[in-house]
Amino acid sequence: MENTKELILVHADMKQVSQEYNNGVNIMLTPQFYTTKREEIPVKYSYQAKRIVPSLFDGLLENTEEYKYFVEKEDEEWLCIAYNPEEIKTILEQKGILPEQVSKIYFAEQAAGQFIHPVLLGDKEALVNLGGTMTIVPQIALNSDEKPMQITQDFTPKKGVAFEGRGKSFISTNEAYTLAAIFALFAVIYFVEGSRYGGDGAAEEAEMQTLLENYPSLQSSYTRKSIASKYKAIDTKERKKRDVIKSLSHMIFKGSKLSSLSMDDKRFKAQFSCKDASVTSKLKELAKKEKFNTSKIANSNDLKIEGTL
Amino acid sequence: MMQLKAYKNELIVGLAFLLLIIAFSYKQIQVSNQNNASSGAATSLQELKDVIALKKIWGDKKISKKVDKLKTLVSPSKIKWQRQGKKLTVSFQGLSAQEFNRLMIKVMNLPVEIQKLEVHNTGSVYQVEFKCKW
Repeated sequence: MENTKELILVHADMKQVSQEYNNGVNIMLTPQFYTTKREEIPVKYSYQAKRIVPSLFDGLLENTEEYKYFVEKEDEEWLCIAYNPEEIKTILEQKGILPEQVSKIYFAEQAAGQFIHPVLLGDKEALVNLGGTMTIVPQIALNSDEKPMQITQDFTPKKGVAFEGRGKSFISTNEAYTLAAIFALFAVIYFVEGSRYGGDGAAEEAEMQTLLENYPSLQSSYTRKSIASKYKAIDTKERKKRDVIKSLSHMIFKGSKLSSLSMDDKRFKAQFSCKDASVTSKLKELAKKEKFNTSKIANSNDLKIEGTL
Repeated sequence: MMQLKAYKNELIVGLAFLLLIIAFSYKQIQVSNQNNASSGAATSLQELKDVIALKKIWGDKKISKKVDKLKTLVSPSKIKWQRQGKKLTVSFQGLSAQEFNRLMIKVMNLPVEIQKLEVHNTGSVYQVEFKCKW
């Protein structure tokens, strides 16, 4: 797809481009914008070569941190190119080509074999293949019988480079891939965690089945409800009675004695004989805490405690 | 198309973030579904356990035997026992404080419906009338 796009040779003396490349354009750079080295590097893959390449340009480049490197395997050697993307962007903008319109950037060095004739660069200079290396020479140095040629789309090499984020991007490609990897990792974790949840209370269901097998009479929910309502009422009422008896038993202490107790299904009544008024008062307090009704028996310290169930 | 390409990096990050949001939402939905399913199943299970527990206490077939043990707490001369099926009317006369306490603890732990409980204390002697059914 990329190779069907127009290929423009960009050089320093190039005139301003008036055309807008809305569908993108490929550019080929002259050696004015890059530095080349061909070296035999004992590696197999380009990613390995890329690690070594910066050291090959030691001392050749200024501000090396601004440079990026392109490597391509040729017959025996590796073609190593150092280029400054910011410098290239500036030049392109000066020539009227917006960086975001550029699909791929190629280097003339990649297509050296196709430059069988000089390519004129403006009025003074020409791009020629000198012993396999692309070189800018003055046009007066060209042989008069040598016919210049134009580059065509056929010059488009297979491999090229692209501007990171095509100029307008707020984040670099590396940052984008790092962030995307982090987000994707968390997404995978959430998916895995999510798939672990989503149970449907299977453990509870299994326990329920076991219980129902042991109590077959409770299989029917109607029976369960009926039994529950019957026994719950009894349970509540009888627990209340026993709680009352327990509370009353706590009211028996030194000086306080149970004289009588009467309890039926609806109410209870108890009478305590107290040694003196202070015991009566303490007993009254205890009864009040339990929300029982109290009444003092006339002409004695005895106390009547009653309540409903 | 060119504009989209210009913001390729932002698009990659945006899509990855969207994936993260979808994954997070998926997890939250799964957690919520499980909680709902579990709480529904847990409620049913608890209800069943409650019914079983209630039936074990109040529907126990050995209650009659347990009730009969009241007779063994004090000397037979102090007891007037009258049991008809699952109904009991009993009166205890001349109980000491110790016997009275023992009887009350037993009565409180019996899974029966107390219909009537009368206690009278005269000096150091207790009289108890007890009516229950089960």
